[in-house]
Amino acid sequence: MSERRTVNSSHLGEISLEAGSEIYLPMGLPGFEHEHRMIPVEIPAQRPLIYLQSATTEALCFVSLPALVVNPAFLLQLSDDDCAALDLPADREPCIGEDVLCLALLIPSGNSVQTNLGAPVVVNLHNLRCVQAAGAGLSAHYRLAENGKWEELC
Amino acid sequence: MLVLRRRVGEAILLGDGIEIQVIEISRTRVKLGVTAPPGVPVSRRETTALAAENRQACDLVQTRGAAGVEDLLRLLKNLSQETVKAPPAPADK
Repeated sequence: MSERRTVNSSHLGEISLEAGSEIYLPMGLPGFEHEHRMIPVEIPAQRPLIYLQSATTEALCFVSLPALVVNPAFLLQLSDDDCAALDLPADREPCIGEDVLCLALLIPSGNSVQTNLGAPVVVNLHNLRCVQAAGAGLSAHYRLAENGKWEELC
Repeated sequence: MLVLRRRVGEAILLGDGIEIQVIEISRTRVKLGVTAPPGVPVSRRETTALAAENRQACDLVQTRGAAGVEDLLRLLKNLSQETVKAPPAPADK
């Protein structure tokens, strides 16, 4: 039986998780370089939202969506540095959903939210290493409109 | 700007606690190793704007709370506020 532990979250309360189910961010996230361990939390009633809760800072919790929910035509572009940080082979494209999970962090924007698909949070599903893939230097902002559709911002 | 010439394996020091070492040089890139105290954030210059975005992103649950997330879900599911019925009030005993 695998060992379980709990993590407290200011927003989600007490989270119980199996040891080894945290994702590891060797470089942290830009702006949060010292946050190296996060817990992805999916609440069935709130699908497709995925929370990224810091394993060490109770108050730090991001809300994200799978990048393909924002734009079904999303194509992942990783720099050599991103591939190296994720321990992904550089000679083939990772498959979203099989090799990697791509999450778009949601940013408050008026009464709605926006996101930058040019900088998705990418998790290697084989080893749970994670980076925010900003190395390709892209910017692709989308805003959630009142009709529930995502609109690309110029 | 101070310009220094360094070879692989050589380093420069910034103040007392920060060391930047040249690890590898290829045709177009330089691999650097940075040693810095735990309180010093080390980041790539091009991620500065992204850091500001991320700080805003973590405000989403802090400023809007659970109600804000529910509003967001409603938007995502393309449901207007009017069509969502309030849960029935608990019956009095």
